[in-house]
Amino acid sequence: MRVADKNRDRRDTLILALVCMVCQLALAPNIGIGNGRANFALVFTACVAFNAGGRRGVLAGFFAGLVFDLSTTGPVGLMAGCCAATAYLMGQEGRNRMAGELAASMAEFSIAALIVSLIYHLAMLMVGQSSSLLDVILLRTLPTAFLTIIAFLPFAWYYSRSVGGGSGLSLGGRRRGGGSHLSTRGL
Amino acid sequence: MPLRSNRAPASGLGNNNQGTGGRELVVCLVISIALFTVGVRTGDSGPLGAVRGAFQTITAPVRLVGSAISMPFQGLGNIFSNLTADQATLSELQAENDELRSRNAELEEAEQTATRLQGLLDLQNTYDLQSTAAHIISGSSDSWSSTVTIDKGTSSGLSVGMAVTSSSGVIGQTVACGATSSTVLLVTDESSSISAMVQSSRAQGMLNGSAAGEVRLDMIRTDQTVEVGDIVVTSGLGGVFPKGLPLGKVTSVEKNPGSMYYTIVVEPYAHTENAEEVLVITSLTDSQVATSEDVAAADSQETSSSSTSTSEDSATDSSSASGSGSSSGAGSSDNTSSTKSTTSSNATKTGN
Repeated sequence: MRVADKNRDRRDTLILALVCMVCQLALAPNIGIGNGRANFALVFTACVAFNAGGRRGVLAGFFAGLVFDLSTTGPVGLMAGCCAATAYLMGQEGRNRMAGELAASMAEFSIAALIVSLIYHLAMLMVGQSSSLLDVILLRTLPTAFLTIIAFLPFAWYYSRSVGGGSGLSLGGRRRGGGSHLSTRGL
Repeated sequence: MPLRSNRAPASGLGNNNQGTGGRELVVCLVISIALFTVGVRTGDSGPLGAVRGAFQTITAPVRLVGSAISMPFQGLGNIFSNLTADQATLSELQAENDELRSRNAELEEAEQTATRLQGLLDLQNTYDLQSTAAHIISGSSDSWSSTVTIDKGTSSGLSVGMAVTSSSGVIGQTVACGATSSTVLLVTDESSSISAMVQSSRAQGMLNGSAAGEVRLDMIRTDQTVEVGDIVVTSGLGGVFPKGLPLGKVTSVEKNPGSMYYTIVVEPYAHTENAEEVLVITSLTDSQVATSEDVAAADSQETSSSSTSTSEDSATDSSSASGSGSSSGAGSSDNTSSTKSTTSSNATKTGN
């Protein structure tokens, strides 16, 4: 049985956060469809929530959303709240849920991305950042959700191939069959 | 969002220390709502605006790197953007594009005007000219004279016979003045005549216009040195133009057999089609007019020309033509002396 290393989990989460933040700052602004931009904060939130969930997922989602808010021109706190709530809902089930479940993870994330994107843009509509509901839905919500789902695809593919102990966030090459399904966290 | 409620937890052990995160969620939501409220109420001027500014400053290098990396793919993004843009957006962009294009032309025009005015200012400073700036408002209204009209007249202190120059060189001189406009006879006009000299050899002559628009430098003897590319400047002998103002460049020099003088064609520096702002030189300082030495040099040039002519007269039958040319040259030299007071009659046709 492979014993999960708590420090390694933290390190892996940190690396994932760094990758997503770089993508959010460097990649997302430059790749768009209509007015939509990929939301890597939600991608990070989903990865942590699916693999670790619980308290850790909620906090990760909150801070990821906060970084998203600070990097955009929208109101601070909106995406932070959305991501925290999403992480809570996604993290209600078991851990390591992305392992071997690419299609299911993608389906769940797609719905989450659509709902978060809709809530976010409706809130923007209500605070006067946008003027048309049609514009919000067709030109902002749908493209954003689509791009976010596309952005999540490589992460989902990566984690679907990894199984094993710990929180399952390891970027260190644990592969299917390479370890135990039993996490020893908390032991 | 428990969509897969039938899925069993991967590991029960892993959940022991995590809890559901309910408390954390409540705290996070409270903070989010507080931040959201503060952010919406204070906008970018509040503390959150400052935090966002700091964050964006810190992360700017990452954005720059991302922008550089994604540069090749941005065209693809633009294609998608253009495909999804609605008609109103396209019309708005088209209108904005038209407006910006018009504004761009306006600014380029302003830049060129500034450059020209700077050139005039430089000229004014270089030659210490007492002058008035004017705009060319129209060209010649007839087909037989080469003139332009400027927007300054007697009310601005202008009078007939004043020299007019652009930043690139002499244009001509005023031949008629109204209260608010004046007519300038160009150097290319057939009746224009200006005392000039070749800058390198100091050979003095008269710059005359012609009906064909060609400008010739006359009265330069064949024993003097003139080459293609030499610069021709005003000699200051007339008292109208300051000494040393650029007139043009020698484009051809011909020496005809039996003739005492070169046939020299000059390309004027100033073209009125390119000039819009000009300087009218209202008066000259003592240092800008030709000195007595210059006049003496011109006279000696003519004297030697006359003596050469006389000796040639005795030898050939072609003396009459040379003689008349010589006296014409002396006449113009005298004329320059007499026109130092910038009288109108001399300036109009005989030049300086």
